[in-house]
This record gives sequence, C-alpha cells and structure tokens, in this order.
Amino acid sequence: MKWFALIAVVITGSLLIYGVSDFPDWGDAQSPANAGAKSSTGEPIGESVSQFYITETGRLTHVPNLVTAVLADYRGYDTMFETVVIFAAGMAIFAILRVLREDKHTLGPPAKDTTADGDHGRIIVGTTCKILIPVIQLFSLYVVAHGHYSPGGGFQGGVMLGASFILLAVAKDLGSALTWFTEKRFMTLACVGILIYAGFGLMAQFLQRHFLDYGVLHVILPKTDEVMARSHSMLGVEIGVAFTVTAIMFAIYANLSSRGELKRGL
Amino acid sequence: MADQFPAIIVLAPLFGALIVGLAGSRDHRICFPVVLVSLAVSLFASLGVFLQVLQSGPVSYFMSGWDTEKSVLGAGIELRIDAINGLVLIVIAVVSILVSIFSIRRAGEETTEKTPQFYVLFLLLTVGIFGMTVTNDAFNLFVLVEVSSLTSYALIAMGKARRGTMAAFNYILMGTVGASFYLLGVGYLYLKTGTLNMGHIHEVLTANGGEIGRSPSVMVAFVMILVGLWIKMAFFPLYGWLPNAYSYAPSTSGCILAPLMTKVSVYVMIRVMLGVFGWEWVFGHLGWNHAVVWLAVIAILAGSVLALAQRELKKMLCYLIVAEVGYMVGGAWLADSEGWGMTGAIYHILADAFMTLCLFIAASILVKRCKARRIEDLGGMFKKMPVTMTGFIIGALAMIGIPPTCGFFSKFYLIRGGIESGHWEFVAALILSSLINAVLFFRIFEIAFFGNKPAEGHGHEEGETSEQGSIGEQALSVREARLSTLIPLLVTAAIVILLGVFNGPVIAVIRSAIEPLIAVGG
Repeated sequence: MKWFALIAVVITGSLLIYGVSDFPDWGDAQSPANAGAKSSTGEPIGESVSQFYITETGRLTHVPNLVTAVLADYRGYDTMFETVVIFAAGMAIFAILRVLREDKHTLGPPAKDTTADGDHGRIIVGTTCKILIPVIQLFSLYVVAHGHYSPGGGFQGGVMLGASFILLAVAKDLGSALTWFTEKRFMTLACVGILIYAGFGLMAQFLQRHFLDYGVLHVILPKTDEVMARSHSMLGVEIGVAFTVTAIMFAIYANLSSRGELKRGL
Repeated sequence: MADQFPAIIVLAPLFGALIVGLAGSRDHRICFPVVLVSLAVSLFASLGVFLQVLQSGPVSYFMSGWDTEKSVLGAGIELRIDAINGLVLIVIAVVSILVSIFSIRRAGEETTEKTPQFYVLFLLLTVGIFGMTVTNDAFNLFVLVEVSSLTSYALIAMGKARRGTMAAFNYILMGTVGASFYLLGVGYLYLKTGTLNMGHIHEVLTANGGEIGRSPSVMVAFVMILVGLWIKMAFFPLYGWLPNAYSYAPSTSGCILAPLMTKVSVYVMIRVMLGVFGWEWVFGHLGWNHAVVWLAVIAILAGSVLALAQRELKKMLCYLIVAEVGYMVGGAWLADSEGWGMTGAIYHILADAFMTLCLFIAASILVKRCKARRIEDLGGMFKKMPVTMTGFIIGALAMIGIPPTCGFFSKFYLIRGGIESGHWEFVAALILSSLINAVLFFRIFEIAFFGNKPAEGHGHEEGETSEQGSIGEQALSVREARLSTLIPLLVTAAIVILLGVFNGPVIAVIRSAIEPLIAVGG
C-alpha cells in the first residue's frame, strides 16, 4: 500500500513538472492570463478578460479595488456560492455534532470555574479581552466597510468579527459568549447573511434584469446612477457575507469546543 | 419571466433552503411544503428552458448582466443550457422531488430533531447539482462541486450509524483530493488560455489550427480535470469511498445521492470533453480512447463481480453503481465516428438515474420494514409487500436490460457504439455484466418468491448497530410500506418503463445536440 501511494505521488509529481515545461514566464506581462491568449503570430484570440477588468472596472463600477469588483460584481455569483459553502459547513457541523436532547440548560449560567489557576488567571485575561474585543470588532467592521478601497471585505472582516466572539468564549467561557450570541441568533444571522446577498440579486431580477445585476438598483437606492448603484450594492453584499461568516465561525467553534452540547467550551 | 428560467432553476432551492433554515426550527411542519414548492419551481423552470432550447437552440444567461455586449466573453459567469443538460436538469428536478416525497416521514425518524437542517442540506445539495449542470464557467463549476460535496458529506454522516460517519470521513478525504485535482486542472487551463468561460476556452484551444491545444500544459490540465472527476464519479480504481458511503448513509440521503451525484459527474466529464476540449482534441489529438475504454471494461467487470460477492442488499447496489459508471465512461470514450457511444452514455445518465432511484427506494423500504439488510432475509417478501417488490423488480429488470425498460435501450446504443468503433471488449463486458446482473437479481427474486421468511426478528444483531436500530420492534410484523414511500417508488418505476418506451424522441434530442459537436471536430 505504501508503495502504491509512492508510485501515485511520483506519477502526479512528474506530470505536474511536465505541465510546467510549457508555462509562460514568471511575471510575463504578455502571458495569456495577463493579456489574453495570442496565437503564435501574435494575433489575439478573443478579447482579454484581465485587460477588460483593468481598463474598464473604474468606469463601469467605480470601485478602486479591482479585486473587490471581480469578486463581488463580475463573479458575484461565485462569491455567493462560496458564502453558501460556509453556510453549508455550519449546517453540517450542526447536523453532525449538535446534541439536542439535553439542551434545557444550555443557556443557563456558566458552571463555576473550579480549576486551580481559577480567578487569578482570569483577571488578567479578562481585562485584556475587555480592552481588546471592542478594538477587534471595530477594526473588523472597518475591514468589511473598506473592502472597496483596500484589501478586505466580507470574508476577512467576518472572520475577525467571529474571532472576537471566539476570544470571549476562550477567555471567559463559552456560556457567557452564548448568553449574548445565542444559538438562535447566530443560526438566524447565518441565513440572513445569504438572504441579503441573494436578495440583492433577486431585486435586480424583479427589476427585469439578470440575477445580481446591481446596476439597475439605482431605481431603489437614492441618489445613485447605474455605476454608483454597483458600488453601493457591492458593499451591501459584503455585509451579507460578513454576517454569514461571523455566525458560522462562531457556530463551528461553539459546537466543536463543547462537543455539540453548547454548555462549556474549552 | 421566461428569460430568467436558467437562474430560477438554481435559485429556487437556494431560497427554499434559507426559508427552511430561518423558519424550520420553530415549526418542523413547514419544512416539507417549502422543499416541495421550491423543487417544483425548479422543475417548472427546467421544463420551460428545455422547451426554449428545443425551439431556438441553446440558451445563455449571463449572471450580473455581464453579457457580450456590455463586456468581453468570460468577464462574468455564463449559464448555458443545451438539449443535453436540459434533459439532465429535468431528471435532477424529478428525482429530487420524488426523494423529497419519499422523505416525508423518513427524515423525521432518521434525523430526529434535526429535520430542518436535513432539509437545508438536502436543498443545498440540489442547488449544487443543478448549478454544476447548468454552468458554463469552469471555476463556477468547482464552487458548485464544493457546495454539493460538502452537503453530501453531511447528509451521509447525519445518520445514527457510526459506520456512516466513518464512511463520510473517507468520502471527505477522497472528495477533497478529487476537487483539488479539478481545481489544479482549471488553474493550468487558465494559465494557458486566460479565460474561464468554457466556450471561450474551447475557442482559444482550437484557434489557429489548435496550436495552444498542443501544449503539454493543456494535456496535464485535461488529465488533472479528468482524474478529479473520476474520483467524484467513483470510476473504477478510484471508487473506494462509494460503497460504504452510500450504503451506510441514512436512507433518504442514499436515495438522493446515489442516483444524482455520480451521474452528474459523468455529465460534467462529457461536457468538459465535448464543450471545453472538443471532440477533435480529445479523440484526435490525445487519442487515449483505447486505454480509457479498457479501464471502463475493467470497471464494469470489477463492479459486477464485486456486486456478486456482496451479501448486503444496499452494498450490492452500490457496486452495481460502480459498474454503471463504467458503462457511461466507456460509452463516452468509444469515439465511433457517428457518436453512438456518446449518445448511449448520455441516455444512460438519464436512464440510470431513475433505475438507481427505483432500486434504492425499494431497498430502503425493504431494509427498514423488515430489517432485511442481507439478501437472504428477503424470503417470502412477495406475499408480504407485493407493491414494493413490484417496484424493485421493475428497477432490477431495467438494470439487467430487459426490453420495455430504459435499461435495455441504453445498453442497445452503447453496444451499437461499441460495434461501430470496433471495441469488442466493451461489447463483451456489457453483455457479461448484464448476465451477472441477471444472476444477481434472479437470485433475489427466487428468494423473495419462494424462500421462507426466516424466524421473526432475524437480523437484529445487525440492526442494533445500524441506523434502524432504535426504530424498534414495529417492523417485526411486516406489512406493506406507507403510501408516501410507495408513490415515489411506483412513479419512478413508471418513468423507468416510459423512458424506455419513448426512447425515440429522447434519443433524437440527444443526437441533435451532439451531432454538431462531432461535425465540428470532423
């Protein structure tokens, strides 16, 4: 069996190296991915997607960050399903791990900490977290909102926001994090996030355009034209992504750390 | 409205899943109607778009409105429906509706309080499968493969059986490897072509005498994509995850996964072969058809022989799926100049979905009602459950390939392709596998007709560890199954026969769709 695995690895590896032999040069500005495919005589075959993104994005969407425009507009349909993947992961964790039989006391007061380092450790950790968590949350909101202009966006911001709740759960205990961020709330939030995203798409459909064609939303959004409507809607869907990611991050942590009982974490 | 159909096919189950997720946990009773309505909307939209295709050729739908007027091809994501995937979409919609009806009571019993989550995952699975079939974008396909795989892992692991969880874990490992192979292949293709739109990639690969297509990187990309899809469809050497995953899954999960996942992966392979690389490139430039057909022959024989060795009913069916995948892959790679092998493979995707569904529903009823995990436990079932066994027989006859059922006609076209392309080994394997199927199923018929039911309660030592363990003693007195499970079974059985009787128009539609693809290649 080991030999079989070794042979498979060797074959795959040599195949990959063989494939590399015909790659464009590293950082070649004329490579197909950068300038579109060209025939040996230099004739372009079809128009180049990346050139289109680079030259037209500013005019068409008014978003300075090209990556955000590609992610949330041109390929917004992909991104919606990436969010659905995360949502499905959360649902899968719930479906497999969650123990529902004895969840009467789930949200009751956290069990008294009886470990040896007890309160002394908790004071330092607790105070640090009290200071840190609001800062993390504020920064994550900035990352979500500023995805247009700088690296960032819903996924990154959502992960940070989720991490701030996880930090609370690690530093104090899962119960106290759950008293505010209850299971009902985070499961609802996860659905609402995708609903926001898909809702933007659906609104465009109701306005006789294709799914996720944000341009038409200038009818609804005040003081916008086609271009600015795209820009604003991208912010909207990023917020939706952030909701889902935050909720599912915390849901996964909560279920994993308490073996699906949502009582006491680590 | 009508021009929105391609998007609605995918979106209806997505919104359905969100509604179930939001409102389902308050009241479990709303789950089922929402599931049924959203799948019915999908079916309606697939039928509508299929009619459009028949009238006026392939339908394209550009997500976010980035069509070729506003931007360049490939800037946005395109959905594209031709006659072939139009048919596949209808099959998916019908199968998922039938399984959802089958699941009315089952889901509650097998997943206890997690019914809403079960239905959320169920709907997301159909979203993924619909999306894989409908998309014309190589990367979007990967995203939807992820959606469908992730949900299927969860659906398999949801049951109470520990073996199901273990099988799901194996499946995760294999599935992840498969998906990453596919992604790697798409990455290589993007490096050489600079686009992700399948039609555009095809254009680039064939332009100027196909010079970019001759690049070794493109060849490696094709191999990576092919191996990734083969893992997903459980083609012979890569089938290890399938039997346990499908047989130890909760019965409703097994019934939706077994007919759809492998078949849709086969469809995706055919689409990649014909739509991305093209007939001429795959069979002319690469020319590996002999090797792949031989691999398919081994798959068919191995699947059939392993099925013969099984004593558990569902395991046996799972190995038959492995053999059926061999039929389809072999048929697709026969490369006879008229494309009959390809026609047979595509028709077999449709036929096999219903055959497998029929057998899996019947087997699930038998396993649950009378604890007949093993074939020997089926003694005297005909007297006790005549309707269920009728459905089972129709599915089995189709699997063997007896004339009025669709199984006969798909084999007929596959064999025709085999003869025309001179792959006699494939023809021999098909006939031999049909004979083995006949032996398998007639053994079961014999036991069910003439055998005596073993002492009541037999099979409990099995039952304790299985997902049926806690359902308890009610199954001891075996009676006919519930109406909610019999209706989907009988409808499926009827479709198996009707699809066979009316194979002419279906074949005509498939031919009309693949003939231009072959002609382009010369």
